[in-house]
Amino acid sequence: MGRNLHKGLREILEQKKGPVVERWREQIHKSYPPETAQFLKREKNRFSNPIGSSIEESIWPLYDQLIGEADPAVTKKLLDNLVRIRAVQDFTPASAVQIIFALKPILRKEVLPLAQKKGLLKEYLEFESEIDRFGLLAFDVFMECRERVWEIKRNDLLKRPYLLAGGMCPSYMMKRGIKHLEKLKKEITQH
Amino acid sequence: MAKELTPQEMLRIDLTPPNRDWMDIPTVIKPGIYCYPAKPEKVEAVGMPNPHVWSPLDDDWGLPEDWKETFLQGMRERLDKHRSFKIFMDICVRCGACADKCHFFLGSGDPKNMPVVRAELIRSVYRGEFTKAGQILGRLAGGRKLTEDVLKEIWYYMFQCTECRRCSLFCPYGIDTAEVTIIGRELINLFGLNINWIQEPVANCYETGNHLGLLPHTFKQNVEFMCMDIEEFVGIKVDPPFNKKGAEILFVTPSGDVFAEPGIYTLMGYLLLFEHIGLDYTWSTYASEGGNFGFFTSLDMAQRLNAKIYAEAKRLGVKWILGGECGHMWRVVHQYMNTFNGPPEFLEEPVNPLTGTKFENAKSAKMVHISEFTADLIKHGKLKLNPKRNDHLKVTYHDSCNPSRGMGMFEEPRYVIKNVCNNFYEMPENTIREQTFCCGSGAGLNAGENMELRLRGGLPRANAVKYVHERFGVNMLSCVCAIDRAVLPASMEYWVPDVNVCGVSELVGNALVMEGEHERTTDLRGEEIPGFAKAEGEEVKEDV
Repeated sequence: MGRNLHKGLREILEQKKGPVVERWREQIHKSYPPETAQFLKREKNRFSNPIGSSIEESIWPLYDQLIGEADPAVTKKLLDNLVRIRAVQDFTPASAVQIIFALKPILRKEVLPLAQKKGLLKEYLEFESEIDRFGLLAFDVFMECRERVWEIKRNDLLKRPYLLAGGMCPSYMMKRGIKHLEKLKKEITQH
Repeated sequence: MAKELTPQEMLRIDLTPPNRDWMDIPTVIKPGIYCYPAKPEKVEAVGMPNPHVWSPLDDDWGLPEDWKETFLQGMRERLDKHRSFKIFMDICVRCGACADKCHFFLGSGDPKNMPVVRAELIRSVYRGEFTKAGQILGRLAGGRKLTEDVLKEIWYYMFQCTECRRCSLFCPYGIDTAEVTIIGRELINLFGLNINWIQEPVANCYETGNHLGLLPHTFKQNVEFMCMDIEEFVGIKVDPPFNKKGAEILFVTPSGDVFAEPGIYTLMGYLLLFEHIGLDYTWSTYASEGGNFGFFTSLDMAQRLNAKIYAEAKRLGVKWILGGECGHMWRVVHQYMNTFNGPPEFLEEPVNPLTGTKFENAKSAKMVHISEFTADLIKHGKLKLNPKRNDHLKVTYHDSCNPSRGMGMFEEPRYVIKNVCNNFYEMPENTIREQTFCCGSGAGLNAGENMELRLRGGLPRANAVKYVHERFGVNMLSCVCAIDRAVLPASMEYWVPDVNVCGVSELVGNALVMEGEHERTTDLRGEEIPGFAKAEGEEVKEDV
């Protein structure tokens, strides 16, 4: 999309980058309980605040992707950074990816009036559709993450065959299998 | 089972959670976070109360009629017995220093996972039921009455704490929230409400000596399988002794090393090390478990399951005990074993037979960590090593919570790694040593059904691994804990897919130059070592 973005609209979006992304960050923080939101905002060390830092490291370049020449690989990586964590937290799928759509009301407040002044309403609406596209991409990422979780669960189970057998180890199961076969053979020959 | 949403519920996308006090926010128990309940036969096997079938998603948990009195009586007894528990109930000023130090809070964002709030779940009952102020003023004094919902909430969150003790490091009053969890779990166990991932290993351990329930011949057979692999990949025959009376040293390790990948490669490392130095030692098929899931059930159960180690040391007549790479096993050994089942006067102060080093730190419990032992051997030049065999690895080290925070072992594993690997990179300072982040699945939470919880809890550790992976190309996360080895692969698979997990002794095993070995073209996993693979018709020359 970025390629076709109207020059005048892009200028407004670039000029408003600071306030828009800051409000966006605030909205994402607010999707957590208030005590957590305060912490995410306060703690700046990336290792002491993995959720907050992954938000911070993703939203600024993601905004650039949105208004500039979006590179699909980069966009996906940034969305992954944002959504991967939410995919294993207490969010419904809708509220996990809603953070992308949360940009819309912010932009309507910060950018739309300026765009309207310059007669760029049509261009603005086209640009908004790009946010929808990012939101849908975020849902793809969310589903990939959820499927990965299930794969990991499956792999974990397959690595533990003794569990499926009620706490017995494979060699014991083999022996038991052989005994069972022998018993079956015996029964067949007897009949 | 996922609940089908009503159209009204589907339309209600809750974007901002309510701003209310934690006591007013009801706890919703969710699949993916909790572990399956204990099977009644496994509760019965060790004579624990109220074995029954139940589900955390049901309204009725099958509690006995007098459950409330039992809980409060249990709490009263523990307040009297454990002075620490009483103090931890009384002195917290809710300063919040611990609040943001827990890996489960940092990964989930759930305020009830702040250690202060998690302990407050029990502390509020203490105030409401045991203190005058709480009884009279109730909520005003931070107290609440014990109800079924309160019990369920306590249950849910006691199994969202891995007893890693990172929070205790930051508490100005020295409150150890892990001890609150320990008591919380003891109280839960008064009603048969344990999780099966803990209960079944406990029952197995009681019956056969190890968590997996391996019978003696199977245990021996599994170790012998490793010997067959060693013969193939190293080219030497190793014949480890079992239940050998009169051996100098008894070796005890978690049974995960005998069975689970990648722990088995660590076990191959032990076997090679002992063979390399000709150690007079023995395995035991009775004390076939270093780990102790009893510790995640009750202190009494921990004591019962731990007893076999000294008993077996006495039966075999060894001089001292050497322990493998395990996490909570070392917390139990270091902080409890001597008073649980000791002091073991029949044992001697451990002395390394090759170097003469006295392990004074192990003077009372008589048990030495394999990393301390290996570091001592390297320091005295007793090992012939070729670290180049690990050159394809860029290694970092995860301080397992219990050996680091629980017994203060920081330097030995690093010294060993630096001598057997040429590429070692530390993770950031606030994520290692005493500030290490838990793997996210300790204290019996390494099941499969609670994977979402495990991945949340694993985020802070994985976040630091991701940093060294991106910055230095780290591709191997080493550790000295069997639970770490079992669970970090899943965490890495989700958060940092290009990083593998290994035990420190596996790295040692790969670097050890064994007498009579053939050209080492593969590592202990049977994978080709880059730069060492033999091209057709070519001799491999090792540059030691």
